[in-house]
Amino acid sequence: MRILLDKFSKSFGDVRVIEDMTLEVNDGEMLALLGPSGCGKSTTLFAICGIHKVSGGRIFFGERDMTDVPSQERNVGVVFQSYALYPHMTVAENIAFPLRIRKLPEAEVKRQMEEMARLVHIEELLGRRPAELSGGQQQRVALARALVRRPNVLLLDEPLANLDAKLRLEMRSEIRRIQLETGITAILVTHDQVEAMSMCDRIAIMNAGRIIQIATPQEMYRNPRTAFVAGFLGNPPIAFLDAVARDGWLAVEDADIRLPVPPGTRTPPDGTPVVLGIRPETLGREGDAPIRGRVTFVETQGRENLYDITLANGSVLRSIQRVSDDVSLNDEVEWRVRSDQIFVFSQNGERL
Amino acid sequence: MTASRDIARDGPAPVTARAVSARGLASWLNSSKGLGLVLLAPAMVLVVLFFLVPVVVTGLIAFTNMSTATGITGGAYQVSPSALRVLTDQHGMGALAERLGQPTYTVDEQGLATLEEMGIEPGIVAGLRERHLGETYSSRREFERAIRALPERPATRTVKRISAAFSRSLANERFASAGALIAAAEAVEPDLDAAEKQALVEATYTGWTWTSENFRRLATSRDTERVFFNTLFFVATTLVLFNTGYAMVLAIATHYIPERAAGIFRIIWFLPRISPVVIYVLLWKWLAWDTGFLSALLSNFGVRPRNWMLDSATNAWVFVILINGFVGASMGMVIFASAIKAIPQSLFHAAAVDGAYRWQQIRHIILPHLKWPILFVTCYQTLSLLTSIDQTLLSTDGGPGGATEIWSLWIYHTALNNYAGNLQYGYGAAMALVLVVIGITLSLLYLRLFNYNALIIKPRIEH
Ligand SMILES: Nc1ncnc2c1ncn2[C@@H]1O[C@H](COP(=O)(O)OP(=O)(O)OP(=O)(O)O)[C@@H](O)[C@H]1O
Ligand SMILES: [Mg+2]
Repeated sequence: MRILLDKFSKSFGDVRVIEDMTLEVNDGEMLALLGPSGCGKSTTLFAICGIHKVSGGRIFFGERDMTDVPSQERNVGVVFQSYALYPHMTVAENIAFPLRIRKLPEAEVKRQMEEMARLVHIEELLGRRPAELSGGQQQRVALARALVRRPNVLLLDEPLANLDAKLRLEMRSEIRRIQLETGITAILVTHDQVEAMSMCDRIAIMNAGRIIQIATPQEMYRNPRTAFVAGFLGNPPIAFLDAVARDGWLAVEDADIRLPVPPGTRTPPDGTPVVLGIRPETLGREGDAPIRGRVTFVETQGRENLYDITLANGSVLRSIQRVSDDVSLNDEVEWRVRSDQIFVFSQNGERL
Repeated sequence: MTASRDIARDGPAPVTARAVSARGLASWLNSSKGLGLVLLAPAMVLVVLFFLVPVVVTGLIAFTNMSTATGITGGAYQVSPSALRVLTDQHGMGALAERLGQPTYTVDEQGLATLEEMGIEPGIVAGLRERHLGETYSSRREFERAIRALPERPATRTVKRISAAFSRSLANERFASAGALIAAAEAVEPDLDAAEKQALVEATYTGWTWTSENFRRLATSRDTERVFFNTLFFVATTLVLFNTGYAMVLAIATHYIPERAAGIFRIIWFLPRISPVVIYVLLWKWLAWDTGFLSALLSNFGVRPRNWMLDSATNAWVFVILINGFVGASMGMVIFASAIKAIPQSLFHAAAVDGAYRWQQIRHIILPHLKWPILFVTCYQTLSLLTSIDQTLLSTDGGPGGATEIWSLWIYHTALNNYAGNLQYGYGAAMALVLVVIGITLSLLYLRLFNYNALIIKPRIEH
């Protein structure tokens, strides 16, 4: 079911948290809501499921205006950041709760509950209480409880934040599998960009209560609309470098760097200060424009090495390369950047 | 001590011995057991002084027949009508009692001397001494016939005076010791056997004695049953309606209203708790008096003014329960409210999106979380209601006509304050002991309930 937030705003007293946000999630799509802490992700989710009343705008599920429908009637499944399992109920009772509240016949409740438990692989835990489960198990119970009533919409608020790295990896694919199997429209809130990129069809990047850009993960990575978006995606993160437009080139004058303007970028007027975004993988042994600096940090990540190189003007760029041991700390190096893959931003962060 | 002396004998000098024993004390204090005992000591002293001793003393008094009549120190031996009744009823010595109760007439020197003092003709006195000295008559008629038979033929008036002078009755005599009593009794009834002496001593003793009579009386008295059911009704009704029920309504209601308003609301419900009892109850009385607020208000509608509180048993109960309940509700309210506050907000959010409306949230989220607080408040308030006395004493004082007499009040009325004026300390103590036993039993029961559940919480199992 399609979700549409139409000029949605939310304020708490005088604090305006979300202003005029318009967001559409397509039917069957999984959308990541990605942004720094406090930008309003949870607030948006809480408005969609009806826990918070909106201060302005409308919320649609399909064609139906849900703005004034109480959460009890919205048929939204929510996995809360803290899971919010009912501690006094067993796993089975937790999962069955939404069905029992709807007064389904007991046989039907049991059947659906067990089916859902099988789907998330917790059949053998049904008799336990939440306190007797590990974090990952609790998370699956929360997912089962959210899905059991066959909701129109599934909302996940940082569901993986409490898990260890391995479990997180497992659960990522698990959630995605279930979402695809059930064909449910889902919104995943996270501030982990890897999670967003690996699990979702599209990503909406939020900052300070606004949506900056919505795109597929690849599009977002390859074509960020602002420096903020570029900085948010990518690990290790992109490095920024102050430069000026000079004679149709982009120059970092005190570091002796001249780069051609990448294709598709409008050439700024001479003397305009700009910010260059250079991803670690575009800086290395191959490329067209030379960059000189000193290696000030080396980190081996297994298959790859991560280097920081400090330029003559003190700016730091990052490079990620295949492991080799010909470069060590404090070496002076001359590497190259693939200038067609750098991003040029204006001083206020807008892409040029 | 022995240990340190041994060390001293082995050690090089006595100085070392002192050092060692000081170190021993220090290490004993350092051990958690030693320090714990030292720290607990003041508390133990207080517990013993203010709890154990009163309970033990109450327990002891419960097995006596102490009352205003017996006093709390020793007594004397008095052949009172009631003592004779005891002799008859409880020892089956009716004949003896009758004889001791009846005056007897013994012609002895003492009586003759009295006759001389009274100025009876010396001839008559001499005649009595000569013919009848040492004789005993058990009835007045017989003795008087003997007097009339004297050669002097005394006039009827004189006969009466003479017989009165020889009347020797034990009735209402007081004796300081059992020996004096027996001596006097033997003068009347020379051949008393040991059992009879024993019974006589027991029956005539006016001081307190050890007895289990109080408990027999408690077990058989119709008052016990009435007061018991009064107490049961009072405790159960106040507990269910107010201390937990109303407290819960208040706690849940304040959970769903804005914080500020909830705070003010709670403080209002705290007023009965923090205002002095006398003033609090006085306000209720003022409300209920025949010239009070209720009557004044209702007189506008043509209702006859009356004392609403003591008008009928039903009214009295309503007031007693309201007065006690409003005081008790605040505690439950605070405990329940804080327990509700401790429930993570996210559970309510989850319940809302799961489709639970407010009353379903109350039933499925709030109430299960209040299980322990409810149990705790129930335990605590059962015990405090069982022993509570002040509000009821000040409001109805058990009235009208004993309708609201509850156990604690009954103790007070029996042992410390009653209209008849004979305060029955022993009987009251027995009632108090029963209450203490009930209280301790309930506490143990509740404690078990708490512990039992603490035990059955399963260990956390991880895969
Ligand atoms: N009940 C509230 N009253 C006042 N301000 C609030 C309230 N709830 C949230 N806010 C504010 O709204 C902003 C957005 O909060 P929100 O919880 O949506 O952030 P978030 O994006 O989910 O952050 P995080 O990633 O840390 O969970 C924050 O600045 C927060 O302080
Ligand atoms: Mg959040």
